[in-house]
Amino acid sequence: MAPVTYLEAIRQGIWEEMERDPSVFCIGEDIGVYGGAFKITEGFIHHFGKERVVDTPISEAAIVSAAYGASLTGMRPVAEFQFMDFISSAHTQIVNACAKSNWRWGAPAPMVMRGPSGGGVSGGPFHSQNPEMWYAHTPGLKVICPATATDAKGLIKSAIRDNNPCLFFEHKYLYRRVKEELPEGDYTVEIGKARTHREGKDISIITYAAMVYVAQEAADILAKEGIDLEIIDLRTVAPLDVDAIVNTVKKTNKVIVLHEDVKTGGIAGEIAAIINENCFDDLDGPIVRITALDTPVPFSPPLEKVFLPKVEDVVREARKLKAY
Amino acid sequence: MKSKTEQKPAAKNNQASNGPANSGQKNGSGSAPAQTKGKFTQVAPQRKNPHGIPDYRLEVPNFQTVEEWADGKLRYNVKGDFSAPAPSLCESKYLSKEKSIEMYRFMLLNRKMEQALENLFKQQKVIGGVYLGLGQEGCSVGAAFALKKEDWVGPMIRNQGAMLVRGFTPADTMMQYMAKAGAPTKGRDSGSHYGDVHIHNVVAPISHLGDSIPVMAGIAMGARLQGKNIACLTFVGDGGQSTGPSYEGFNFAAVQRLGVILIMEHNLWAYSTPVELQFACKDLADRSIGYGVPGVIVDGTDPNQVYDVTYEAAQRAYKGEGSTLIEAKMMRMRGHAMHDAASYVPKEYFDYWKRRDCNTRMEKYLLDRGWLTEKDNKDLIADVEAQINRDRDIADASPFPQPEDATTGVFLDNSVKIPFKYGPPKVKEVQKGVRVGEASNVSHYK
Repeated sequence: MAPVTYLEAIRQGIWEEMERDPSVFCIGEDIGVYGGAFKITEGFIHHFGKERVVDTPISEAAIVSAAYGASLTGMRPVAEFQFMDFISSAHTQIVNACAKSNWRWGAPAPMVMRGPSGGGVSGGPFHSQNPEMWYAHTPGLKVICPATATDAKGLIKSAIRDNNPCLFFEHKYLYRRVKEELPEGDYTVEIGKARTHREGKDISIITYAAMVYVAQEAADILAKEGIDLEIIDLRTVAPLDVDAIVNTVKKTNKVIVLHEDVKTGGIAGEIAAIINENCFDDLDGPIVRITALDTPVPFSPPLEKVFLPKVEDVVREARKLKAY
Repeated sequence: MKSKTEQKPAAKNNQASNGPANSGQKNGSGSAPAQTKGKFTQVAPQRKNPHGIPDYRLEVPNFQTVEEWADGKLRYNVKGDFSAPAPSLCESKYLSKEKSIEMYRFMLLNRKMEQALENLFKQQKVIGGVYLGLGQEGCSVGAAFALKKEDWVGPMIRNQGAMLVRGFTPADTMMQYMAKAGAPTKGRDSGSHYGDVHIHNVVAPISHLGDSIPVMAGIAMGARLQGKNIACLTFVGDGGQSTGPSYEGFNFAAVQRLGVILIMEHNLWAYSTPVELQFACKDLADRSIGYGVPGVIVDGTDPNQVYDVTYEAAQRAYKGEGSTLIEAKMMRMRGHAMHDAASYVPKEYFDYWKRRDCNTRMEKYLLDRGWLTEKDNKDLIADVEAQINRDRDIADASPFPQPEDATTGVFLDNSVKIPFKYGPPKVKEVQKGVRVGEASNVSHYK
């Protein structure tokens, strides 16, 4: 099979689930005739009809709530945010209505809320954010952040089949930059299981989404210096794969947590605490956090470059950590 | 100032422009038409408001709350005429004698359950506050009573009556307020924050106001995908209708022609804030023009009016004709919750609306028609009181939840099969495996 993009993999995943299961339908802004701002659902409306590809008013709160309501009747809606930044307009609907539904009154909400997140494209403060931690902090939600096309397809399928509200953060920088040959047939990837992106013995980099590729570039540079990085791609930030985190720390004894989200309240702090609680004695050096700056995402390229974590940051910090 | 048309009996065929014909009429067998007694007015819009919205009320009170400085303090006072005597109820176009008595029983049950809750609160058996719907029973019950079993209701905090109509028991609400293990949420959430997707078709509200409106739209959409047009009734207060989700939700329902029936309970006070500080228009039903859906105004203290317009709205929903906005005008007769003595409410309001108490007027309506004798009524009240006593004992006897219950159920296991509410979706036949080509390379950001 010819390699396909990360974006195409998500398209395929949703398409196949809609063919497989009549309870699946899409709802969002400009997803019908136009096919979505990034063309994830291009052609869907002609194939599946407008009843299953619902163009909505610009109303994120209504989109999420309507998806939630439909899920109460046993449907499996896939709601699109044109940009994940707009998720804040549906915040209470997600964290209060959907997330607490099964726990509070035994009403399952099998629904997916997906859309493009992340920076590196000069999208500015409202088209570049990584809002995943607002939701990882809320019990009752699953938060998925795939890095590869294979995972993106397998995880979107798992999210659609999941009985709980799932947030699916696609990385817009990866949409058309990542291209892979996908596994044949109908496959899924389990939610909550991390993936070893690169085996190594000296230092573990725990990361996810677009930063997996930053870690990869750094690993290639450091390999020439004899520093062997292990890269763990979390794939989901809620639930976290605690076993995978502990196992890699036990293996390399040194760890860098790398993410594109801002530092304060990012998943790195949580992972550091998990390491402290589970395998403090295995550490041979301090836990290092490499993250975006604690500022809004800037628009102008030179500013955004300063904001985002870079390959040279990883290389520098890894060299320091190796010396411990 | 009284309206000129206040006492004028309605012509029998003077129906709302958006109402159905008399096809649904089910007047009680053997009962004389009310008109012959010359006492009752059939539900029909007596007038339209300045924006052309049908107004079913028999009277249009003309008063308002004004702010006034006195002794260096700002307080609320009233302007207008509060002297009018209460009108009788309208005669329902659709309710039979038997149905009317059943509806009245629910109103009694609602009121007596809330009185029992108040006592439980005073006995410190309630955890937290109690939110009463005193004076609004006719609206909660009348609206929910107009629906079919397969329809849905999204109640708000003062719609306990609607939950009783949907089949929950007084014990359910009492146990909710008492944080007991036997409560529908097993002590996880409080008060009227409960629901059921399996039998009762009730959405558990969240505290955030207006948020049930888009959820009801989604339920109607889910049902429609499964081949069924249903009615989804929800309520929002004059305060709650100011929120963003209220607008987003009802606009979405209107655009999608979903069978959402939105009752705006215009009960004059949003916690301590008078409606004059909530919105600048006089009638909330005016909003229906902007949404592009039919709107009506009813007397929220007249269960027959509420029943009839909700019934008509439900018929529209079943036919796939879309949403309806109903404004029910009434008064919140207690504070926001039990702790709130509502001292900010001018006394004139309580006096005026107490005369319009829905339960008292429903009782009088049934007695005057001869549908209930004094003895029937006494027996009915005794029967309701006995039920309340039994339910209170059930609630009292229910244990508190086990501490370990707190952690279960955050997620639902994926081995559980979630059933379709109305059967498998009716979807367009698609040719499987025929995928359109790759997405075109048009992107908002590269």
